[in-house]
Amino acid sequence: MNHRRSTEPHVTRRFSLSRMRRTPLSRAMVRATTAVGAVVGLGSCATNAAQDTWQPKGPNAKMIDDLQQPIFAVAGIIGIIVFAAVSYAIWRFKDRGQPIPEQTHGKPALEITLTVIPALILAVVGVFTFRVIFDLAKTDDTELVINVTGQQWWWEYDYPAQNEWGITQPIITSGQLVMPVGTKVLLRETSRDVIHSYWIPALNGKRDAVPGRIHTLRLEADEPGIYAGQCTEFCGLSHANMRMEAVALSKEDFATWVANQQAAYQSPAEGTLAKEGESVFLNQCVRCHQVDGLKRPDGSLAIAAPDENVWSGAAPNLTNLMTRNTFAGAMFDLLRDACRDDVWNAESAEFGAKYLAGVDEACLNVNDLRAWLRNAPEVKPMYANPALLADTNGKYRGMPNLGLSESDIDKLVAYLLTLK
Amino acid sequence: MADTAVAHEGHTSSTGISNVKLGMWLFLGSECLLFGGLISTYMLYRGRVSNGPTPEQVYDIPFTSVSSFVLLMSSLTMVLAVSAAAKKDDRGTNLWLVVTALLGATFVGGQVYEFTAFYNEGLGFTTSLFGSSFYTLTGFHGVHVTVGIIMLMALVAINKRSRVPGSKAETVEMIGLYWHFVDIVWIIIFTLVYLIPV
Amino acid sequence: MAIIERPAPGTTLVPALAPSAPAITPARTFGALRRPVATTGWKSWLFTVDHKKLGLMYGATALFFFIIGGLEAVLIRLQLAAPEGKVLNADLYNQMFTMHATTMVFLFVMPMAAGFANYFLPLQIGARDVAFPRINAFGFWCLLAGGIVVNLAWFFGGAADGGWFMYAPNSGPVFSPSHGVDFWALGLQIAGIASLTGAINLIVTVLNMRAPGMTLMKMPIFTWMITVVQFLLLFAVPVITVALFLLTFQRSFDAKFFDVAAGADPLLWQHLFWIFGHPEVYILVLPSFGIISEVLPVFSRKPLFGYPFVVFSGAAIGFVGWGVWAHHMFASGLGPVSVAVFSLATMAIAVPTGVKIINWTLTMWGGKLVFTTAMKFAVGLIILFTIGGLSGVTHSVAPSDTQQTDTYYIVAHFHYVLFGGAIFGIFSGFYYWWPKMFGKMLNERLGSWNFWLMVIGMNLTFGPMHILGLQGQPRRMYQWTEARAGEGFFNLGFWNLIASIGSIILTLGVLFFLINIVVTARSKVRAPLDPWNARSLEWMTSNPPKEHNFDSIPHVNHLDEFFHRKYEEDPTTHTMREVATAEQVLAELEKNADAHIHMPSPSYWPIVLAAGMPVVALGVIYSIPVAIVGGLIMLYAIYGWALEPATAPAIDHDESSSNGHNGHAVGASHG
Repeated sequence: MNHRRSTEPHVTRRFSLSRMRRTPLSRAMVRATTAVGAVVGLGSCATNAAQDTWQPKGPNAKMIDDLQQPIFAVAGIIGIIVFAAVSYAIWRFKDRGQPIPEQTHGKPALEITLTVIPALILAVVGVFTFRVIFDLAKTDDTELVINVTGQQWWWEYDYPAQNEWGITQPIITSGQLVMPVGTKVLLRETSRDVIHSYWIPALNGKRDAVPGRIHTLRLEADEPGIYAGQCTEFCGLSHANMRMEAVALSKEDFATWVANQQAAYQSPAEGTLAKEGESVFLNQCVRCHQVDGLKRPDGSLAIAAPDENVWSGAAPNLTNLMTRNTFAGAMFDLLRDACRDDVWNAESAEFGAKYLAGVDEACLNVNDLRAWLRNAPEVKPMYANPALLADTNGKYRGMPNLGLSESDIDKLVAYLLTLK
Repeated sequence: MADTAVAHEGHTSSTGISNVKLGMWLFLGSECLLFGGLISTYMLYRGRVSNGPTPEQVYDIPFTSVSSFVLLMSSLTMVLAVSAAAKKDDRGTNLWLVVTALLGATFVGGQVYEFTAFYNEGLGFTTSLFGSSFYTLTGFHGVHVTVGIIMLMALVAINKRSRVPGSKAETVEMIGLYWHFVDIVWIIIFTLVYLIPV
Repeated sequence: MAIIERPAPGTTLVPALAPSAPAITPARTFGALRRPVATTGWKSWLFTVDHKKLGLMYGATALFFFIIGGLEAVLIRLQLAAPEGKVLNADLYNQMFTMHATTMVFLFVMPMAAGFANYFLPLQIGARDVAFPRINAFGFWCLLAGGIVVNLAWFFGGAADGGWFMYAPNSGPVFSPSHGVDFWALGLQIAGIASLTGAINLIVTVLNMRAPGMTLMKMPIFTWMITVVQFLLLFAVPVITVALFLLTFQRSFDAKFFDVAAGADPLLWQHLFWIFGHPEVYILVLPSFGIISEVLPVFSRKPLFGYPFVVFSGAAIGFVGWGVWAHHMFASGLGPVSVAVFSLATMAIAVPTGVKIINWTLTMWGGKLVFTTAMKFAVGLIILFTIGGLSGVTHSVAPSDTQQTDTYYIVAHFHYVLFGGAIFGIFSGFYYWWPKMFGKMLNERLGSWNFWLMVIGMNLTFGPMHILGLQGQPRRMYQWTEARAGEGFFNLGFWNLIASIGSIILTLGVLFFLINIVVTARSKVRAPLDPWNARSLEWMTSNPPKEHNFDSIPHVNHLDEFFHRKYEEDPTTHTMREVATAEQVLAELEKNADAHIHMPSPSYWPIVLAAGMPVVALGVIYSIPVAIVGGLIMLYAIYGWALEPATAPAIDHDESSSNGHNGHAVGASHG
């Protein structure tokens, strides 16, 4: 600061400001502000990220989106006003040697005005918010109920018997939530261990699945297709790998899917590799994994007992595994990339047929599946170290390494391919 | 409980309340939230008995009423101690402090007896949510009473040697505040825990 | 040390006061040790009860943990720079984000605010110390002990891994089998004692020890904000104390509190945690609001615009802050009525927050703005906090929040609030108050680098997180996958990379600050008495202040008392002209210097008492007998504390005054 330009005394004793002048704060601030604005603007350009929250594909998500878009806009405008005001003040009132101004302590009228305006804006926002909260909570016109249970680190979907949908006996599945389009689906969520959160951004906001409680969440999809989601309540080691996919099928395709899920079990033909795989499955996998209708050699039904081996007391039901596109809590695809893209990117008219075709040998993502069977904890972090089971009464959290031989894995893969 | 910046000691404080007394009031305000949290936990969980006896099966209302009355009486004797201290009556102060401590000790003794009885009836700390939250709430209160007894006895011991630093009456009054607070909390606990049915 | 005899110039020695009443003298002590006397060397720090030394110790501790927490953040960003990151495994990553948040919240921002409060609050109100100096020292040692316990877990089988919110039942013994959560809960419990004692201490100090003439509405705004924060702490800390006790009882003694099989409700933890946790947000940010409300007027050469509005909005935030906790639980399944109520309450709290931003802007309006580094950080806070505040409004709208919560959008939001708000305020405070604390000015050129790198780094790191979150990337994921990152150049992969690059720039910015500290420490240039042309009482004394702060306690007539002693209004132009230099103002005060200023002596017991606590904690985790040993240490310390003589042995004083102080000193110590 130099003397000629300042009326402030003792400047020489105060530190020099000349350096600051070379990097004019105002211009830089404006630039920074523009950059931030640009960054946010760019971000809103659709990149087709699978879980984009700004691309609603059903009425519930649309309700949220219609509410939030104007709020983002208003917030943005208010932000710009504040930046403009601060930037102007920085430029206009910079110390150019003006005298020390009058020591005014404020103007109450101005203060009150500037307090009331935001309060009014928020009151308006509040009214709309109020309505949407209660609209989203509606459950009385539900058309289909699906029980959704979270556990470390996968979701189980349980369709209670609902004759109007052809569901005459409960269907238990995992990996993908299959639902009919244009239908008000009610998820009844709970958990078997820690808190998880169910979230399909294109269809609705998230809702926590809390052990000991049942929470409801409504989903409805406008178009057939696959909608991605992810567990959003931190749930331990493999939280990042706890994904979900909601599959919307036309009502006819959904009926086909339901019928297939309830079809009788067909054992592989004698003498095939798959038949050998069935006995490996009976020796190893059936301890935890149920395949409905599977019989032991003595003719008795094979009943899985995951409650004896797994802390949460459940393991994915593998009946009709190959009708799903994912495994291991939707962490891995059952389809090779090309086949997967073919289904995901299908036109809505063709989607149903492609999805219902399921997984065949040509399309099977055999590498990930084999790696999983070879040593599951290596590809998905889980508490499955046999040395560390003291705290859980010897029960695993996740799938342990079964120590299968390569030939057993060959047989198992052949067997699993028959589960359609 | 502490040094005071001496430059201000003896001068009138801005509020007219001494630092230690104001500090004690603030501490007790904070304690309200502590017991608030514990009581809420108990109220949420008292009906959740997955195992072991229910509250109705173990509570002995007449017994607890008597011990509650004993604790209530100790507030009265505490008042007498404070008033004796205000009159600079050392003997009276000491007497009533000791009586207060004894009444408090009787209450704690009753609580120990009650805990033992409940335990023998099958209600352990880890038996049920009711057990965990009951013992935690009443245990915290019991610890507060015990700390109060120790403060009272220490005060008597120091008082006997005329070594109470600062104003004696004020120290007695401050411990009195704490003591009354603990009593009031017990009245709330007794009402909510024992008297209101699940 | 204990007694400062400061004969007023021009007067003869004041005759010694006659000792009154039976005094506790060192010879009659029945504490186990006598009172320490060191005024120099390490002992003078270990046993100090001086609020300024303790403030610096809080600051140094906080800065240390800031570096630790920062390195944890850098590791997190390195892991997330590319898909399927391999820098950390899932287990370590979970520990890393848990400890990053825990460290930054409990061990950096809170103690740093406590440090500033300790140092400057008594100075700002014209007091010579806080109300309870030994408890003040005890609080600091508790904080340090707590910080050490929380971090000790790294070396005993892994740190806490349940997130700083530590939701039940994931924090239970089955789901988090390492001892990390035990260390975490007990460490925070110990650190909580620091907050509670600090709150009581500072509130009493503010209410009882203000300089004559300083009414509540003439208190500096920083002191006001700190006072609001202490009330928040006073009532919030016991709630987390309960929650942590329940957690510890469950983990160490098999209590059932969060055992769902026994019928427990996991939402109990969430309610307890957020009843503490939301006021905690204001506990973190209000001190910084206070700091920049000091800095902006000084460098605008204008009083704070609408001082009463800022005070009341601070208090309003403090009150309403208690009624909004469940907005952290909009997705928890509370039911529409609760959600609607908390949604509206959350919108309501935006109003007083907005008032502050408006007032800061209007403070600059019409001023004479001097852009020092402190001022730059303050202006930076206005801008960055506005962004954080506005994104906050978007998730006060509960339905919108169900799309945003637990995504990176929230991470972006609270980093704009806590980094752009709390930390920028703290840095503004560093630059503004450094000459007061150390008598030397931080280098402004390095400060400029520090500021610009932090602004750029911060926006590059946290700006893209808005996009990441809105595009659906959840938080607390140790890896993200290309499969869900979207298409095109500007997909999630791009923004993740930008955020990671930003974190490196941010780190560089902080590094410039650390370099600045070293450069300043080695510099020989002393700061002038009033380098910024400041306005409040803390500048009305030497740099750094003497042990007793003020030679004579000033009588306060104005808000901005110091400024009004230097300047007078020109009746015609209404501009201000100088009537006295800072030196002249000080000289005026010196003339009336108090003859006898009695400061409390150092004490052994605060550190001994605090040292017992980690022993108890380790005992609870590993073996109860150890806990009993810790308890005995604490009992011994309380005994020593209660019976400690009020002053150090007379031999250590100036001979001429040694027989004069006892009478005064007797009244100083309460058991």
